Amino acid sequence: MFTNFFYLLRQVGIPVSPTSFLRLQKALSMGLITSIDDFYTAARSILVKSERYFDLYDQVFAHHFEGAELKEPDEFELSEVARDMLEQWLRDPEGLAEALGVDEASLRNLTPEELLQYFLDRLREQTEAHHGGDRWIGTRGTSPVGHSGYHPGGMRVGGISRNKSAVKVAMDRRYRDYSQEGPLTQAHMGEALKRLRNMIPSGPKDVVNIDETIYQTMKNAGEIEIVFDRRLKDRLKVVLAIDNGGWSMDPYVEVVQTLFNYSRAQFKELKTLFFHNSIYDNLWEDPARFKKPFRVDDLARLDSETRFIIVGDASMAPYELMATDGSIHIEERTLRSSHERLQFIADTFRSVWLNPKMAEEWPYTRTINLIREIFPMFELSIDGLEKAVTYLMLKN
Amino acid sequence: MSQTNSSPVFTGASKYVLDDELAKIVNISMAIEMPLLLKGEPGTGKTMLAHAIAEALNMKLTVLNVKSNMKLVDALYQYDTLTRLNDSRFGDSKRDVSNIEEYIKMGKIGQSFVSEERVVLLIDEIDKADTDFQDDMLDVLDQMEFDIIEIDKTIKARYRPVIVITSNAKKDLSDPFLGRCNFHHIAFPETDMMRKILHVHFPDISRDLLEHTVKAFYRMRDFNGVEKKPATRELINWIRALKSDSDFKVKDLVKGDIPFLGVLFKKSPDYAIARNSVSRMRL
Repeated sequence: MFTNFFYLLRQVGIPVSPTSFLRLQKALSMGLITSIDDFYTAARSILVKSERYFDLYDQVFAHHFEGAELKEPDEFELSEVARDMLEQWLRDPEGLAEALGVDEASLRNLTPEELLQYFLDRLREQTEAHHGGDRWIGTRGTSPVGHSGYHPGGMRVGGISRNKSAVKVAMDRRYRDYSQEGPLTQAHMGEALKRLRNMIPSGPKDVVNIDETIYQTMKNAGEIEIVFDRRLKDRLKVVLAIDNGGWSMDPYVEVVQTLFNYSRAQFKELKTLFFHNSIYDNLWEDPARFKKPFRVDDLARLDSETRFIIVGDASMAPYELMATDGSIHIEERTLRSSHERLQFIADTFRSVWLNPKMAEEWPYTRTINLIREIFPMFELSIDGLEKAVTYLMLKN
Repeated sequence: MSQTNSSPVFTGASKYVLDDELAKIVNISMAIEMPLLLKGEPGTGKTMLAHAIAEALNMKLTVLNVKSNMKLVDALYQYDTLTRLNDSRFGDSKRDVSNIEEYIKMGKIGQSFVSEERVVLLIDEIDKADTDFQDDMLDVLDQMEFDIIEIDKTIKARYRPVIVITSNAKKDLSDPFLGRCNFHHIAFPETDMMRKILHVHFPDISRDLLEHTVKAFYRMRDFNGVEKKPATRELINWIRALKSDSDFKVKDLVKGDIPFLGVLFKKSPDYAIARNSVSRMRL
């Protein structure tokens, strides 16, 4: 029963598992659910495991049982689709032209901006009629150029960047997933990071050291002397914030990737967050910096023993750092300057800033100097890492 | 199955105002024997729910307060080696030193398993522990049994406890963990709900006081920049304070004169902000 409902939930991106669906069936077969209201609450508590999806669940529920329209893609999503299309166009003009049913040659003459506009216009005309179709571009279609936002577990093209040429924008934000394996060339970096792991054990002395106990007891002529040790458990938690946006970081992506690959396995808990240029109200858990915002305010909830490592070139226009509304992303409006935010992080955690630029270059960039006043800054090199690790491990 | 169908149905308790939705979820979770994971702002009554279930269904409540350095074994059982060692040296206790079982003490989960009757097991603030703990624990709760290694014995649950798990964290717990729980997010109560809750706690509260405190309270929750917003618990304590102050008059609230701010705002920066904003507040 309700199989369609289940698949619709999956389709819109709510992670519902078959096991939980079976469990719902069990509840149904036990006669516990007697009305649609019961079903609503029961299905939600059994299937949906995070309040973040409650809204989406409501939409799907209303759609499935009451026939309400699922939310139309808004302007922002449309422009995302249009950008996807542009990318598709750059890769395979003929295929796209055929899918759209237009002459490829007529599109060839358009500039990227005109192309983008053209796609947008076509999308606006067409969004209503073609959801779920197989040829045109709808949100839930199987057409090759569909909007990726609703892909269950799919990848998403990144945020908005304006005032750049459209082709550049489209190519700029391909999903760069740092967690994937990359070539590991800088083996020394792993060595340096291992220092982070060989931490002083912390916590109460609650493990009996048997060898030492026997030895001491013998020495005491049989009078029992129990020796306790600290648990040799590495409690170090690390937050790694990576600047993965903008051209200025591109040359260092591989270096950062190496660092990241190493660090993943090495800590008790590693949280990786992403940002562009500087940190405003949100950091992002997904590399595309779109789906999963992580509020900077929420950092205060983390264990204060957490070490905070920021990797970025710290190079930007001064206003991006100092102005109250400095983000270059139009949709990211903030009341506090990035400078204030960074100060908050520095006050909350023991933190370092790793800069892929060589130290000799630092004095020439104003924002680097400003950020150095907040964070101890080290080069993203073996030497710099060693120093950073030493700093992070200092007592007090 | 027939046994579970005839099992008692939870409808609320004397000090707990329950909305229908949550009541359904509790009952469904009990019926299909799934732990219920509760999330929500601090002070929305997550922990209270377990107390209320225990009270309403007349069951015993076992509370496991999770701590950050806790190991799963601590929650299951403890082998008291030190007492045994001492007993073996002095030999003045009634325990049989050669029988290790006499030195095994049940932890909270263990207690709920060996209990003679069905109990409510509250696992409070699960997010404090590390993920290993959480994953290991759900294995135990899934199979309803665990081994005591020292005496090579398996403890099976006699009655499956009603399990309520609470979490304060914004972050989600691990997927396998979530997969084995039912989930509910307790939203902060609306004003109407809040009035009901207050009525339960203060049956004789005057209408005037109720209206004005609730109004002032929700206004104060909206203050900008407050880190820890006052929750239901704070409101109840605040009203209690107001009621016990013989000099207090409801009119003062209307004038924007809010006494006992410290009951509501417990962090010093928050308190300062509240002090400032209150002076500009008019009801």
